[in-house]
Amino acid sequence: MDQVLAYPAKWWNEAVIVWLVVAVVIYSVTAIPGLYFIFKYRFKPGEREVGDHEKHGHWGLEALWTIVPTIVVLVLATYSFAVFKKQRTVPEGAMTLKVTGFMWGWQVEYLDDQGNTIRTVVTAYNPTSYETPEEQKIVVPAGRPIKVLLTSMDVIHAFYVMPAKIVEDAVPGRITYLWFQINKPGEYWVFCREFCGTGHSHMFAKLKVVPPEQFALWLRGGSDLAKKEAGENI
Amino acid sequence: MREAVAVPWFSAGLKEWIFTTDHKKIGILYFTTGLVFFIVAGLFGLLIRFEQNSPGFQVVSPGFYNYLLTGHGAVMLLWWAIAAHIGGFGNFLLPLMIGARDVAFPRLNALSYWAFFGASVIVLLTLIPGNHIKMMWTGYPPYAAHADAGVTAYYVFAIHLLGVSSIATAVNFITTYIRMRAPGIGFWNTNLYVHSLIAANVIQLIGVPSLAGAVTMLFLDRYLGTNFFNPALGGDPLLYQNVFWFYSHPAVYVMIIPIFGFYSEILSTFARKPIFGYKSMVFAIWGITVISFIVWIHHMFTSGVPDWARVLMSYTTVLVAVPTGVKIFNWVATLHGGAIILRSPMLYTLGGIFMFLIGGLTGIPNAMVAIDLGVHDSLFVVGHFHYVLGMALTLGIFGAVIFWFPKVIGKMYPENLGKISFWLVFIGANIFYFSQMVAGFIGMPRRYPDYPPIPEWVVLNQISTVGALILGLGVLVFLIGIVKGITSGEKAPANPWQSPSLEWRIDSPAPVDNFGEKPPKVEPDYHPYKYGAPPTF
Repeated sequence: MDQVLAYPAKWWNEAVIVWLVVAVVIYSVTAIPGLYFIFKYRFKPGEREVGDHEKHGHWGLEALWTIVPTIVVLVLATYSFAVFKKQRTVPEGAMTLKVTGFMWGWQVEYLDDQGNTIRTVVTAYNPTSYETPEEQKIVVPAGRPIKVLLTSMDVIHAFYVMPAKIVEDAVPGRITYLWFQINKPGEYWVFCREFCGTGHSHMFAKLKVVPPEQFALWLRGGSDLAKKEAGENI
Repeated sequence: MREAVAVPWFSAGLKEWIFTTDHKKIGILYFTTGLVFFIVAGLFGLLIRFEQNSPGFQVVSPGFYNYLLTGHGAVMLLWWAIAAHIGGFGNFLLPLMIGARDVAFPRLNALSYWAFFGASVIVLLTLIPGNHIKMMWTGYPPYAAHADAGVTAYYVFAIHLLGVSSIATAVNFITTYIRMRAPGIGFWNTNLYVHSLIAANVIQLIGVPSLAGAVTMLFLDRYLGTNFFNPALGGDPLLYQNVFWFYSHPAVYVMIIPIFGFYSEILSTFARKPIFGYKSMVFAIWGITVISFIVWIHHMFTSGVPDWARVLMSYTTVLVAVPTGVKIFNWVATLHGGAIILRSPMLYTLGGIFMFLIGGLTGIPNAMVAIDLGVHDSLFVVGHFHYVLGMALTLGIFGAVIFWFPKVIGKMYPENLGKISFWLVFIGANIFYFSQMVAGFIGMPRRYPDYPPIPEWVVLNQISTVGALILGLGVLVFLIGIVKGITSGEKAPANPWQSPSLEWRIDSPAPVDNFGEKPPKVEPDYHPYKYGAPPTF
């Protein structure tokens, strides 16, 4: 299996590193000379009392730090464009989930190839705890791209898949989408990231990533995964 | 009107303060109101921080938390980041820097303040339980039209009054600059602060009507049953976001560009040399102003707008980095070859530029749409804008308060308190907002009063709280300094910093009629940054 934990998080992480390198370089070429000048050109009575007041600017330098940053940011934006394309292009063979946000929870419908709902998971609003009952976990197969169609019943929400580093708003009256793929089975967080009222911070879900065979079983049978797992463990 | 400006501020009675049309008194009124609201909103911020300190609800209920956040955001942005310095310093300094007697329309100026005061009263009314507004300062529908959001009308009316105030001020300042400059003050020897102020007010003039329109539609939707934003009846919630951000993105430059002006004035004074690249600074200010109107979609990168719009505005957004970069590089170059004096206004300015540098570099991932898809609406964004709007701005204002304190009050701000407050604010803010950015980068959403006990999140939030306490202490020391300066500050000479700029050629505090009956004599080679003589302070 793929060594990467999740998509599009892999490309997101790469983009972050690119940005960090650029940011540290720009920071260094700005802050280091700045600090150096502060220490070197200090006012000293009798010695250094007036600044270099003939110096009003330097045409070449000013052009340099207009043109170079322009090139740098345009390159960064173009690179981000390329990554963005991958983030927004759902790979072949993706499974589709229809997710509807409401105040304050998620309704997740599993669609077949014809677009019919096979199974539905609804999370309940729990204003005090972050525990999730087994039947309210969003179960998805590991290693398979998942397209999430998003909308909302009431106000705007946002579906943030934390391990995949991707978020998209769920807007009433619109259908938006995102896609992700998680390769390692386990439990992950999903949070609402668009402010939606009193229960906003408790509008979350647990994403349960399971091996594909187990997922097929869960989806087909509608069987209780928790019991099955417990049985296997014994 | 003549008698209205007959008494200086320190001997003015209540009646004089209420009916005054004097730009200096109105400036003081604006800044004092802004400062009071800054303190209240700061305390709101501390409560928010204590609530987020650890998982669970400890300090406040989620509903009250949402009120605190709404109040903190709206008041800090509109009262502190706009009104306090544009209304306060703008009013005080604009006529003095261009050698005018007053602004072009003094009575309109008084109306501006009192409309702003009306908005302030409305905000105070929301303190009453039952009047809380909880839709966040952005007021996105459909939530803002929902009962859970509280009394939306207060928000709408406060924005309307502020809008009246801002548009009147913009008209006033732009006219003043165009028509009332003393002979000898031209476009290329105007203080950079004045250039910044005018650019900011041009944005206000063009943008504020858009915001007023957005909240008016919100009001009609909520109370009169219209359907601008109701998708069930053909409306579109994203329409609001577009109209809202068309103003509210440029608004961040309304907030920060005048602060850049403060930086330029103070940096040049304490480096004892002219600002580097004056002309490119002016071009940069106007470049930012123009670009600011074509970038607003970056607030909506994950809102479901078409992908092409996101990519287009990703490109325009990164371009903002160019003029702002030019300004930062010019400031650094100004230090080169200077005779730098590290008085407290200079410390605040250097610290502010440092904060802005970090804030600018952490703005790039918000502009790069690919990274933004992972950090949108996370604490990273909160940390980022507290670097730029929170701290670069507040450090700039604090520095400006100390710098122009002698001209306004007639006494010096106590230097030791200035230095102590600077280091506390600077260190506290960096601890606070840097850990907030890291928490956001590893996924923590914004506007969460409660969160699951993910160990990294908990640790980062606790570090943030330590930073916030240091920051709060720094602000307290700064405020004590203001009180001490007013009551027992050393008497200030007319030109304590030996600056060639026009406002320092009159007595401290500034006399009621500014330069007297005739405009000041401005020498033919006048330039506000002509630092030649050695300083004696």
